[in-house]
Amino acid sequence: MTEGIESKDADASVGTGKTVLGLGAMAGTLVGAVGGMIYATALHGSPLYGVLTGAVYGLAFGAFFAERCSSPGAGLIWGLAYALLLWLLVPAGLVPWLAGRHAGTMVDAARDNFPELAGYLVTLGTPLGIAMGLLAEFRPQPGRRSYVASRAIVVGGLSGLVSSVIFHTWMLKGGYFPLTAGISEAGARAGGASLHLALAAFIGVAFGLLFQQDIYGYGSSMGWGAGFGIFWWFLGPLTLHPLLTGMPTDWSADHASDLFGSLVAHILHGLIVGVMYATVDRLWVRLFVESDPIRREAEGPGLRTIYSLGWGAAAGLVGGAVSAPIMVATGVISKLAGLESELSLAHALALHLLVSAAIGMTYGLLFRQEGLSIGRGISWGWVFGLIWWYLGPLTLLPLLRTGEADWRPEAATALLPSLIGHLVFGAMTAFTFLLLQRSYARWLLLDPRHAAREKRRTRPEGTPAPALWLFLLGMGILLPILLG
Amino acid sequence: MSRFYRRACIGGLAGLVASVPLNLSVGHVMGAVALGTILGAAYTVTFRPLKNAYVDSLMVGTSTGIPCWALFTLLLFPLLAGQYPEWEGEGMRAHFPALVGWVCYGGLLGLLVQGLNDLASKAFGPEPVPVSRRDDQKRRVVILGGGFAGMQTAAALEQELRGDPSVSITLVSETNALLFTPMLAEVAGSSLEGGHISTPLRTSLHFATFIRGRVTGIDLEKRRVTLDMESSAGMEPEPAREVGFDHLVLALGAVSNYRGLTNVEKQSFNFKSLLDAIRIRNHVIEMFERADRESNEGARRALLTFVVAGGGFAGVELAGALNDFARGILADYPNLRPEEVRVILVHSHERILPELSELLGAYARRSMEGRGVEFRLGARLHDAGPGVVVLSDGEIRSQTLVWTAGVAPNPLLATLPCERDKRGAVKVEPTMAVPGTSGIWAVGDCAALNDGKTGKPCPPTAQFAIREAATLARNLKAALEGRPLKAFHFDSLGALCVVGHQTACAEFTLPFAREKSVRFSGLLAWLMWRGIYLSKLPGLERKVRVLLDWTIELFFPKDIVQTIDLG
Ligand SMILES: Cc1cc2nc3c(=O)[nH]c(=O)nc-3n(C[C@H](O)[C@H](O)[C@H](O)COP(=O)(O)OP(=O)(O)OC[C@H]3O[C@@H](n4cnc5c(N)ncnc54)[C@H](O)[C@@H]3O)c2cc1C
Repeated sequence: MTEGIESKDADASVGTGKTVLGLGAMAGTLVGAVGGMIYATALHGSPLYGVLTGAVYGLAFGAFFAERCSSPGAGLIWGLAYALLLWLLVPAGLVPWLAGRHAGTMVDAARDNFPELAGYLVTLGTPLGIAMGLLAEFRPQPGRRSYVASRAIVVGGLSGLVSSVIFHTWMLKGGYFPLTAGISEAGARAGGASLHLALAAFIGVAFGLLFQQDIYGYGSSMGWGAGFGIFWWFLGPLTLHPLLTGMPTDWSADHASDLFGSLVAHILHGLIVGVMYATVDRLWVRLFVESDPIRREAEGPGLRTIYSLGWGAAAGLVGGAVSAPIMVATGVISKLAGLESELSLAHALALHLLVSAAIGMTYGLLFRQEGLSIGRGISWGWVFGLIWWYLGPLTLLPLLRTGEADWRPEAATALLPSLIGHLVFGAMTAFTFLLLQRSYARWLLLDPRHAAREKRRTRPEGTPAPALWLFLLGMGILLPILLG
Repeated sequence: MSRFYRRACIGGLAGLVASVPLNLSVGHVMGAVALGTILGAAYTVTFRPLKNAYVDSLMVGTSTGIPCWALFTLLLFPLLAGQYPEWEGEGMRAHFPALVGWVCYGGLLGLLVQGLNDLASKAFGPEPVPVSRRDDQKRRVVILGGGFAGMQTAAALEQELRGDPSVSITLVSETNALLFTPMLAEVAGSSLEGGHISTPLRTSLHFATFIRGRVTGIDLEKRRVTLDMESSAGMEPEPAREVGFDHLVLALGAVSNYRGLTNVEKQSFNFKSLLDAIRIRNHVIEMFERADRESNEGARRALLTFVVAGGGFAGVELAGALNDFARGILADYPNLRPEEVRVILVHSHERILPELSELLGAYARRSMEGRGVEFRLGARLHDAGPGVVVLSDGEIRSQTLVWTAGVAPNPLLATLPCERDKRGAVKVEPTMAVPGTSGIWAVGDCAALNDGKTGKPCPPTAQFAIREAATLARNLKAALEGRPLKAFHFDSLGALCVVGHQTACAEFTLPFAREKSVRFSGLLAWLMWRGIYLSKLPGLERKVRVLLDWTIELFFPKDIVQTIDLG
């Protein structure tokens, strides 16, 4: 029941090569040592200790992850997830535990160690990942998707600009310049806007250049966008901005709390960049790649979309029904009902189910290319639920009710109860969607043309998706808890 | 051992070991062990194992641990303990250590599952994959004819069987596309491109095999059909091929029935296939070209006279389309005068469109007459010769005669040792099984089928053929599984007929009062015709193409480019 289209090659392996391992370990040690030194400098620690720990972390990353870092973009995601995992296990988990801290105060220790998290991500995870990815460019990678830089630049730049325009006009009302996060405060508003646009285009291009090969559908592109947004928040407002404005870098949890609104803005902007990128890229592929008769695909374009919408709506209904008790108990439903003045619980529930079906449809459209395995589907489902928590109660609901999004950490804290409801909704929707999709796809895949097309279009094993899940779920859930 | 059982064992074992840090989150040793084991098994069953993917498994495991923390520690454990869920910010912060426990559990689980999977692969080999039946053990369903009935049977059977590897489906047809006959008149009338109303059979089928070939013999005893693989000129002829079957579906449709009028058969155009429609269109243009250079008025008039025999749907729609086409292209032939163009519909009864109510038939006639179509009603076609059409009440000088006045089931059916009705269609039970045989079925125009509920004969239309095919597919599946069969029942939805530019008549049966109907005519009926048939045309791509053709026709004149050599 769990086999996807890949099930035919039962011996599937994502493999490890000894040369890669050795080379990766060496490069990892080197980059880790340099990263460790910068880390120690930034956190005013002992440089020797920094170099040593950095080298050990780098060695481990190089030895075990180098094979996975097939490109700088893939490397970045693996690197970020690795850094987060290390932080969770060591400074936030093991160290306070060994120090005998009381369970109730471990979260305070994690807050105290927030600078370490930023340091791990910026000075270790990022350079290690990118370096391993660059190294991969020099080795043959059979079966790797083709990479077209011009497409990445044009599509990325365009989507960066378009999404920034969408986002910019929207956020102007709230007085947000999230990407520049105050760089332009001194300058004129117009100057700020153009800086914002330039940065947005740059982010889009970087997004395209880094992730072109790892993005398969709109949903994963959104996930990558959100992940990139979080990364950019650590790199931009938290690290580069103080450096550029001549201030000392402040990675403390208090400072991060102050910038919580900017974090949400970065995540949302990332989501929009992701969707825009996938849309423009799809258009590009349709116009310039798939229009080539030799690459013609068997099934007409509309059919899958229509089916996916139907399955998505049904899945959304199931997800909505399962999550409804949580949504009622956490009061989200009454807020939803508040949109439509005073509604009875029954009406509010009906509205919730209706909205769930509509959101389920978006799941169908966005995530249908992420593979047919139930496990992977549910993982994307958690991510989808998390994304909707940021998008729904944190942004759209207050926007619809008051005309302004409420991105204060306190607002996020107040909304934390509904986070679980959203996660359950996402996972249930994904699970149901997959059951429906698989019952259709399984027999259709007996058609070799469809099988070939699906294989080409759906995400294979070995991409950084698992790392992205960890990074997104970890950060998306942890940050509001730690910073709220 | 099934692969899922194997996975569950591996996952359970890995979960058991990994549950050590989970203790931190659950706070109850036995509870942690039980939960860890169950979740481990569930995790392993839902993720497909890969070789050596340790870091991937590590990440998948840890990322799953985080929502599990929210679900179990914050929501379910408090609920089970009769407390309010710990989903407020404070509660979440207090349970932060449990999060670390869950992450450790997830990571450990991922790594252990990976290790055990790799070990299991080494010790017991790769996971068993279900084997499908060998080809010679498969039950073979062979469908003859790729028209509405045959194609729909194949497609519906694919859906019903959902890739059941124990059954093979083969569709045999002498054309490689499904022709959407309701739009055929528009091809003859140069409104639509021929290819746009035909859907390739291969692309519509998923795992059924398609063979383009002409059936020349059916041996019910030896259970095989003989195919003649027509070869093109200049190519070596292919040898005849035999295809064996366990179930045979006869969906060979109908052919034109000239009622013994051999001269008519020789002189007239058929109107059944795409090529027929394309030929008619090119012939009409050819007649205009000749008339343009013809100085003799009588000869010119004969060239510009087009006779359609048969006042049923096909004949009326064709006459309307030819009339619009012929009068429309006059603009390109300034030497020819409108009064020289004649489109004549010959019908042996007093009323055209007998399938519709008298009122609508009369409306159609009036409307067509208003656009210049002439009617010779109550007249029978007796004979035809070069340049002349002989009717029971006189002669018409014309170079063009199209025959739509009668159809008969495919003559190949006459070779079968089974009962046929007076038309020649194979008599079938309401389940579409041919009585006295096993595994032989007939559907569509070639079957004499009575409705299972009303007992009325089913008319030879695409509307019925499609519904019959859906029931047949279900019955085929039931027969393959040894279940009882269902009788066919369908109430006609009504009928639609285009009579000229943006004019049609329509009659729909009321859903809850089958004997009653509602009628429409004019532009509204025409819009209904277009909307309904466009939605019925198979394939999104074809729909778009036809819609474009129709849009282009609104702004540009009809095309007079000759596309085939009429020889
Ligand atoms: C001009 C026209 C307009 C029509 N308009 C309508 C309408 O508006 N609405 C409606 O409901 N019905 C309409 N019909 C009727 C409808 O087309 C038929 O009822 C329908 O096509 C019957 O489907 P069938 O599959 O039984 O036969 P067909 O569609 O005739 O299919 C028979 C198939 O068998 C194949 N075949 C025949 N002999 C052999 C052989 N020896 N070997 C291999 N293959 C063979 C043929 O190539 C063909 O693919 C119209 C018919 C015509 C001709």
